[in-house]
Amino acid sequence: MASTKVYWKSFDQLANTEVSQRLAENEFAQDIPADVFLADERSMEAQTSRRDFLKFLGFSTAAATLAACEQPIIESVPYVVKPDSLTPGVPSFYATAYTDGQDYASVLVKTREGRPIKIEPGDAGRFNRGTNARAQASVLSLYDSARLRGPVLNGKESDWSTVEASLKKAADAALAQGTQFVLLTSSVFSPSLQAAIERLRQAYANFQHVELDAVSQSNNLDVWESLIGVRALPYVDLTAANLVVSFGSDFLGGGMAQQLSSDYATRRKPGSGMLRHVELESNLSLTGSNADKRVKIKPSEVSGALAYLVNALGGSASKVALRDDLTKALKALAAELKAASGKAVVLVGGDDANQAKLSAALNALVGAFGATLRTDKPVYIRRGNDARVANLIGDLKAKRVGALLVAGTNPVYFRPDFAEAMKSATFSWALTDRMDETAQLCTAAAPEPHYLEAWGDFRPVAGEYTVAQPTIKNLFNSKALLEVLGALSGDSRSAKDQVAASATAMGLNWNQTVHDGGASVTSGSVAGASAGTAASLASSAKVAKPASGMELAFYENAVGAGFQANNPWLHELPDPVTRLTWDNYLTMAAVDALALGFENETNSDGSLDGSYATVKVGNRVLENVPVFIQPGQTAGTVGLAYGYGRTAAGKVADAMGVNAYALGVTTGSAIVEITKAEDMHEFATVQLGNTMMGRRIVNEVNLADFIADPSGASWNEKPTFHTIDGMMNSEEANLWADHDHETMHMWNMSIDLNSCTGCGACVVACHIENNVPVVGKQEIRNLRDMHWLRIDRYYSSDMSKERAEDENIGGIEMYAKMEEPSESPSVVFQPVMCQHCNHAPCETVCPVGATVHSREGLNHMAYNRCIGTRYCANNCPYKVRRFNWFNYMANEQFADVNPAQDDYGRMVLNPDVTVRSRGVMEKCTMCIQRVQYAKLEAKKAGQPVADGAFTTACAEACDSGAITFGDVNNMKSAVRSAKADARAYHLLEEVGTQPSVFYMTKVRNA
Amino acid sequence: MHYESPVRQPLILGDKSYNQITEDVVRPIESAAPRSWWMVFSIALVMFLWGVGCLAYTVGTGIGVWGLNKTVGWAWDITNFVWWVGIGHAGTLISAVLLLFRQRWRMAINRSAEAMTIFSVIQAGLFPVFHMGRVWMAYWVLPIPNQYGSLWVNFNSPLLWDVFAISTYLSVSVVFWYVGLIPDFAMVRDRAVNPVQKHIYKILSFGWGGKAKAWQRFEEVSLVLAGLATPLVLSVHTIVSMDFATSVIPGWHTTIFPPYFVAGAIFSGFAMVQTLLLIVRKVFKMEDYITVQHIEMMNIVIMVTGSIVGVAYITELFIAWYSGVEYEQYAFLNRATGPYWWAYWSMMTCNVFSPQFMWFKKLRTNLVFTFVISIVVNIGMWFERFVIIVTSLHRDYLPSSWSMFSPSFVDVGIFVGTIGFFFVLFLLYARTFPVIAQAELKTILKTSGEAQKKHHSDHGAHH
Repeated sequence: MASTKVYWKSFDQLANTEVSQRLAENEFAQDIPADVFLADERSMEAQTSRRDFLKFLGFSTAAATLAACEQPIIESVPYVVKPDSLTPGVPSFYATAYTDGQDYASVLVKTREGRPIKIEPGDAGRFNRGTNARAQASVLSLYDSARLRGPVLNGKESDWSTVEASLKKAADAALAQGTQFVLLTSSVFSPSLQAAIERLRQAYANFQHVELDAVSQSNNLDVWESLIGVRALPYVDLTAANLVVSFGSDFLGGGMAQQLSSDYATRRKPGSGMLRHVELESNLSLTGSNADKRVKIKPSEVSGALAYLVNALGGSASKVALRDDLTKALKALAAELKAASGKAVVLVGGDDANQAKLSAALNALVGAFGATLRTDKPVYIRRGNDARVANLIGDLKAKRVGALLVAGTNPVYFRPDFAEAMKSATFSWALTDRMDETAQLCTAAAPEPHYLEAWGDFRPVAGEYTVAQPTIKNLFNSKALLEVLGALSGDSRSAKDQVAASATAMGLNWNQTVHDGGASVTSGSVAGASAGTAASLASSAKVAKPASGMELAFYENAVGAGFQANNPWLHELPDPVTRLTWDNYLTMAAVDALALGFENETNSDGSLDGSYATVKVGNRVLENVPVFIQPGQTAGTVGLAYGYGRTAAGKVADAMGVNAYALGVTTGSAIVEITKAEDMHEFATVQLGNTMMGRRIVNEVNLADFIADPSGASWNEKPTFHTIDGMMNSEEANLWADHDHETMHMWNMSIDLNSCTGCGACVVACHIENNVPVVGKQEIRNLRDMHWLRIDRYYSSDMSKERAEDENIGGIEMYAKMEEPSESPSVVFQPVMCQHCNHAPCETVCPVGATVHSREGLNHMAYNRCIGTRYCANNCPYKVRRFNWFNYMANEQFADVNPAQDDYGRMVLNPDVTVRSRGVMEKCTMCIQRVQYAKLEAKKAGQPVADGAFTTACAEACDSGAITFGDVNNMKSAVRSAKADARAYHLLEEVGTQPSVFYMTKVRNA
Repeated sequence: MHYESPVRQPLILGDKSYNQITEDVVRPIESAAPRSWWMVFSIALVMFLWGVGCLAYTVGTGIGVWGLNKTVGWAWDITNFVWWVGIGHAGTLISAVLLLFRQRWRMAINRSAEAMTIFSVIQAGLFPVFHMGRVWMAYWVLPIPNQYGSLWVNFNSPLLWDVFAISTYLSVSVVFWYVGLIPDFAMVRDRAVNPVQKHIYKILSFGWGGKAKAWQRFEEVSLVLAGLATPLVLSVHTIVSMDFATSVIPGWHTTIFPPYFVAGAIFSGFAMVQTLLLIVRKVFKMEDYITVQHIEMMNIVIMVTGSIVGVAYITELFIAWYSGVEYEQYAFLNRATGPYWWAYWSMMTCNVFSPQFMWFKKLRTNLVFTFVISIVVNIGMWFERFVIIVTSLHRDYLPSSWSMFSPSFVDVGIFVGTIGFFFVLFLLYARTFPVIAQAELKTILKTSGEAQKKHHSDHGAHH
């Protein structure tokens, strides 16, 4: 039926007034001046003919077509009112704190045009101010496109109010039904978060908070909790130590809560009183590689060894029989410990309760308490409790948990029993950065902000309070845990307000604290443990008999616990010791590999393959674990890194490596059964030559010899040449005209091989700063890594030129044997980047002059001019030049790994540095963008460039201060005094390249 | 009339008249191609097209499709380059140096030898161009005026010297070859019946009329060009060797390289000439012109240059030991006993041991044996360049960067493609160009022809 409704436009029309009637008659409310127009006679006399009209039509069509062919104009609109903190091209820095569920560090964030692009170490004096590889790489995790974009409920996209309501409903239901409401997190050491959790506890009588550390410290924490009264680990003060004895503690590399490399480097300055480091370990760790003395030990022998030392130092512990050679080493060690009483510290890796007790006792006996081991200054970063996690699993299975809230951790991946237990959970809710293994099993999942997007605060150690501030607006629809918990307990304050309240409550000035990134406070200290009580723990410790089976000791490499497993920079960074990338594997001693039939073989193209093993712990089995034959591995032991074998982390991490957590071991080591499996695994290594082949590449001297000859004449001999004019050094025996090195700056870099621990933070920093492409596993397997800066690792060999001479061994056999690393090698690390030779072999051979020398001692690379003959790379004695084999920016092969190919990942690129095209050579520039920036700033200020006003990305990232960059023409610069040091030498000085980079001789306190 | 001692072996066998020489030389041009030619040509063409495909893939995707890595930045590319340039050397040596030394036996072989030179230099030239990461910028190696504030090439770079050396060599060789071809083209023109063919050869022969003045000028130009080309025989490979000799890489940084490379180039060039001419003389029935004596002469050159190369190899080893430089010592020890020992010993066997068989007259006059040895020498000389380039690069100063090299299918494809290209050119040449410099050859018929010699010896010298 047609509607008879009448619509009216105005009240006049409704009332049908006269005016409206009149208006309705006229179609146009206003008069159209058609008459006037037609009356204009001139318009009728227009001369435009049909031909002209067609001409104009043709012209305008052509003009319009041409105009359409033009490049689209993308207009940049300047700010009407420019924000104070934002000048295009000028970076802003913000102090914040980095946490990823495992690490904690106080950092500075560099932002450009509102985007965080680089993580720098925080202000000196702060706890954990150094940035390790993970902290450096963490900025890319912000731009990870695998992050969860918005809340998900029952597998469907949802919104915050719905998912939060579902959580509230479940929590209330649990309260009503008398079941538990459990919050599962990583260790919480944030005062604001602790307060929020406390408020939730008040609101819900059935509330439980369970903390889980991926790599557990639970047993250690139990022991220290019993001694110092709070759940925390004691602060290790290496600056007060003369001797550090470590039983498998990878304190320089792995995920120890406290970063010790800076203190370690301070105390490792060569001279009398230099810190001595003894490592007893099964795997060859980064830390063990740096030790002055390394003793191979099996994990099951550690408690016996500790007990031996306890007894030797006057304590009492049960005794077990040990290997003779180990006993001998321990006897010497006991004497050393006695001599260093009050200035020694014993560290233990893993998480064994008995070892923890024995080490506490041993530390008490050597007088470490209050000196090198500050029990009064606890470190709160690890708080996990495995007993409570086990209870939670039991409760879940028994359906005693009505609502489970998992925040910022991934228990299904970390604990093999958890997936099964989750299935029994009535309601589970994950606050997570991605749809990880746990979130996929949860009823609801919601995105949590990255640390660079969030407010937060921390009390990492007694006496320090730090504040984390956002450096960018949330990229995705995420919400901080503080606010989620607040909503449940009826606290509607924002995360910022909650943190500000905590800071103000401590009597701190909020703005100043945010600016500084934190402040010293008085809270958190405790009375400290009694050494006597600690010493008596030894008698209660069960001392294990050394096991006869194969033992597995877990470790962490750059990927760490696996929180940032989807970060390609961490996979591209080679393991410092094995030099393998994009993998985890079983490290095995050569004798065991031979006995069990495992093989490593190098193919004709230099790629490395290894056999697969099946690893069994109890009834848990891990299939297809590749075996890597590792020099220095204790016979009868194998090692395996955590953090791999993800199934739901993103395209970078998934299906890479095996999940070590799946073996269900939380104590750090276990007895395993290993059997050989079919097939060979494809490794991706960056280094095939393992030894120095008798060449003087890393110069090394014993501390005694170093002290005896301060001039260095006997241990740092410079090459000299016979010429017709007599003996000459490499500077004098010179074919070329010298560059002018006096007039302007002369940039030099010193690399102290004594300080460098080989950790690799600099390598990641270099990647980030210089937009170095990530090339992925296959290309690294093809030996085409793009690292501008690499850290060479060399093992010692049993063969030497001296030995060959003594034993009358011929050259062929000598060199063949030299290639083989020793069974118990000493290890050296050497960072190598472009040496910026002042007589550069690359410069003379380039046909087009694409690589040229600057007047400031640098070797420049003009990418635009490069035609890619690779002659320069061939002629480089240091092999530091890297060729763009493919278009890494667009080639599909690299789509999954190279962040520059991802719409989000691209945001991390440094706008100051060109992204190189295919077919050009690239290499270290000494961060020329930083050099130029500093020079311009100095010029604007009318001042000379001050020493230390800037430094390169690698030097900045180095926690140990191993790299010093500066102007040697500045008489007061640090690098100038380093160059004058007796330890300084040039790499391959005899080639006559006159590098601008020099190395400082390594001094071993052996 | 030139007098030649009867002791000298005749250079043209059989009872040949001038017309017979003409007929013999022109036969492949005037007759239809046999089926065997089409078969070989098809195979060569397929190889060539496969190479074109591999090159296109390289240019489209990147040098990463080759087997190179961060340590070994050159491998098959520059190996092939040096190999092909080396092969090119025999042609110029035969046509220029032997001309100056009045070695008349060269006349039967110089045309094909020089064709081979040109075709192999073309192959060689492809590699330095296509080994560039940005081949579309290849013209930047030329010192041409530009708008970049006049940006010059780097005259210090041996790679730039290569550009000049190779382009000079190619252009001089082409001109020299072409000048020699003019009277022969005229001969083909004069006999041609097909008007199109006649027209083409008319253009090619530059209106040659065969006047005495023209012959005189022809001889003079030949001499001048021979004088120009002779230093090139020495300079080209000297400069190629400087790519390596001026570097700092142990195993490359060697002052012996220039003479050693030149000897190696002549060695490999003669081996390739042997390979090609043994086929040509058989297929085109030119046994009377390219005689066993020619083959034997070239075998002697192969034996001598092979021995020079052998001395160079041993000198390198001695100097490495004597220098006391540990890197140098290791580089050579590694060549012989390292992962690429098989390449080194292939090289030694093929280049140093195999030519020694030529001391025996029976062997050096045996055509099958010569053919086998010529192939062996070419394989050996390829390995020599591979050994120099790859085994020096793969283990240089810092063991941390040591690596290995293995070719990808693209590396192999491009090399196979150049062999295909070479044979495509050579086969086309063999059917369209007079493969023997008949005009020159006719000048010695009266003195060195077998029939004439016999006549002289039977009847004494009549003048």
